[in-house]
Amino acid sequence: MKKIVSALAILLLVCLVLTTLASCKTEETDSLVIYNWADYIFDDKLTDFKEYYRDITGKNIDITYVTFDTNETMLTRLTKGDSNVDVVCPSEYAIQKLIELDMLVPMHYFDEQAYTEDFSSNVRLAPDGDEVYYIHNSGNVEQGIIDKVSDAFGSIEITAEGSNQHKKVSMVDYFVPYMYGTLGILYNKYAFKELGIYDEEILNRANWGILFNDDGQGGLLSEGLTGSILMKDSIRDSYAATVFYLLESGKLDGLKNDDGVAYADMSVGDLINAVDDQLLALVKDALTEQKTHLFGYEVDFGKDDLLTGNAMVDLAWSGDAMYAVEESWNDSLGDEGDYELSYYVPHSTGNIWFDGWVVPKTRNPAHTDAIKLFINYLNRPDVAAANLLEIGYSASVKSDVIKSDEAARAVLAEGYAVYAPELWDAADEDGNPLSQEDCDFADWEEFELYFFHNSYLDEDGNLVSYDEISNSNWRYPFESAATNADNYRNIDSLGVMRDFGTKNKAVVTAWNYSRSAGVNALPLLGWTALAVAVAVGAVYLVIYIKRVVRQNVKIPQKNKPDDSGSEQ
Amino acid sequence: MKKFKFRFSRRAFAYPYMIFLLLFVVVPLVIILINAFLDDNSKFTFANFAEFFSDAGGGLTVLGNSLIIGLVTTLICLVIGYPCAYFLAKYHASNRVFVLLFILPMWVNFLIRTLSTKAIFMALDVKLGMGTVLFGMVYNYLPYMILPLHTTLVSIDHSYIEAAEDLGADKMTVFLRTILPLSMPGVVSGITMTFIPAISTFAISEILSSSKIFLFGDAINMHFSKTTNSFGVGSVMSLVMLVLVIVANVIVNLTSKDEEVKSTL
Repeated sequence: MKKIVSALAILLLVCLVLTTLASCKTEETDSLVIYNWADYIFDDKLTDFKEYYRDITGKNIDITYVTFDTNETMLTRLTKGDSNVDVVCPSEYAIQKLIELDMLVPMHYFDEQAYTEDFSSNVRLAPDGDEVYYIHNSGNVEQGIIDKVSDAFGSIEITAEGSNQHKKVSMVDYFVPYMYGTLGILYNKYAFKELGIYDEEILNRANWGILFNDDGQGGLLSEGLTGSILMKDSIRDSYAATVFYLLESGKLDGLKNDDGVAYADMSVGDLINAVDDQLLALVKDALTEQKTHLFGYEVDFGKDDLLTGNAMVDLAWSGDAMYAVEESWNDSLGDEGDYELSYYVPHSTGNIWFDGWVVPKTRNPAHTDAIKLFINYLNRPDVAAANLLEIGYSASVKSDVIKSDEAARAVLAEGYAVYAPELWDAADEDGNPLSQEDCDFADWEEFELYFFHNSYLDEDGNLVSYDEISNSNWRYPFESAATNADNYRNIDSLGVMRDFGTKNKAVVTAWNYSRSAGVNALPLLGWTALAVAVAVGAVYLVIYIKRVVRQNVKIPQKNKPDDSGSEQ
Repeated sequence: MKKFKFRFSRRAFAYPYMIFLLLFVVVPLVIILINAFLDDNSKFTFANFAEFFSDAGGGLTVLGNSLIIGLVTTLICLVIGYPCAYFLAKYHASNRVFVLLFILPMWVNFLIRTLSTKAIFMALDVKLGMGTVLFGMVYNYLPYMILPLHTTLVSIDHSYIEAAEDLGADKMTVFLRTILPLSMPGVVSGITMTFIPAISTFAISEILSSSKIFLFGDAINMHFSKTTNSFGVGSVMSLVMLVLVIVANVIVNLTSKDEEVKSTL
């Protein structure tokens, strides 16, 4: 009997295995594991990609989408084991680290021949007999990004032990730009007006000192700013902002690095990467001193604190900042409503950063087609437009390409409620057509001025900036540096930050020191000890008084047995 | 043929949990211990200890502040919690509704509670700082003080109190010589349940001081989640924390002589 049961069980098992194997074979489904920042893609585009993939290859694709929230978590996961991912989207300095560790596969995206080399299915016949082509989008990528990155990282030496050790490579071969942005100051325009510091000259003089409540001449920017400044709870960004502040406020004048080069003579890019002990000590002191002016450090709640008035200034990334600015439209401000918040990148110094797609060596080689098609797909103008619309950062696709692409224009027009029936159906959710008044922008030109130049035409036809202070296009700094005559920003004033390398630990220690400074719980202990002493003393006093009173009461009552308090 | 014997005793029921403990308590502790002695290149080093104990990153200052804040929180919780538990036990021993009222806040997620506390402080224009952090701590940990106290106080045999009264003790003496010693087990477990989370918390100080008050929990959190190569120092800090918890338990156990009073944490 037992034998029969076990035989049956084995048979059943075999059948099960066979059927699963069979079902795998019949359905042609590829898969792809994407490891991206949280909230860093328009989810619909993942669905669209599946369709696109079917069009090109004739196969279905299964997407596994995993997210991270800091480069550090991502690096830890990739370097310490769990790395079952096909494409990752780190920031530039994390890419540098991954290359040094010899963990990435070169893609050569900007060399079409090399990039498409190992595509197994580059062209296929559609059901109706037409050939379906894959279109290479590397030409859409902003050249400025490639230049900036090549400039900042030069050649990276692979330091990990192995066959590739000491090989020098170029970062551009390893990554495909996705989004980029600047580091700047998000502030409440109306709070600044109230303090009387909403003035181009004052703010430009204070520069990065706005975050340190320093007017740039050694005094306070405004008494009212104390206790209303938010700093980003991020070591690298805070470090960059502090170094800029030190430079702009003249605190680096006359100081030289170990090689005898004056800090003030360095280019912005060199300065933020010149991490030495002297500079680190200055940064530590500045950050410690800054603490007395802070409302606090933020990770996620900065925007809310600015809108509720808890804080007035925040160190922010451009995408977050622009999202916050657009959310801050208030009909009751100004004559016809205004944005309550504003974003300001000081003109002479700043940081620009890039996130891009890379492929780890531990990817599943069977997913190569999917990896390459996905990365390339993201550089299609309409896809880039949809993504930048959703997440607020600047896509690496050239603004000119986006402006001239019909599909991308349609995406933006719909997203920003532009009255442009030639681009989209200009209708509300129920399908009723919108009038020009219902829309936020009267036509595409008005929108283009706002979106790409942060300005509008007044009644006399003059170009007016939405924000007199920044007076520059911060969404597309490359374009603005090239075309906008009113813009004083030079693209060279934005530096790219490399990994701290061997100085990493020292920076963490300095940051920890400033974070812990200024808190002293000893007085608290003193007061508590005092309170305890008083309380204990009071209790004893009460007991003592009670005894005395009782004894006093007892004395006249002679001849009674000496029992205190017993009632029996 | 040998017969395989599997004895299914009652002890077998404990195995799953023993395995769980081994995997998720013992192994992680060992990993922390190992990490504390490794540098970036996974070589043996004492540098992590040197870095922490030299106070270059302000680690010791942070630890001192955390200990003081934890101590004060525990004390305030005790001062508020004891009378509260006492009167709950004395007058409402049969009425669970009042006890429920004290546990009720614990049903709401503590992050939501703390965020709401911040919103209230902001609305009242209270400056965030040490005071608000302390308030948040007391507010969050008070139930952990009251509950064990209440349980012990309710379970005190009333005949002891009657006996004390019969023998002529006044109310104060009854409390000081009978009720207080008998409730010591509750006090001890209340203190451990409040003090230990209070020195390791990071969310409360982060939210209620906008991260300005940087406590030991924040420091450990920073070493693990904001950087990639300072796991070593973070592990040293975690070890220090562990030692502190053990020391706190030993002290508490030593000061309470009664055998039954031993803290179980």
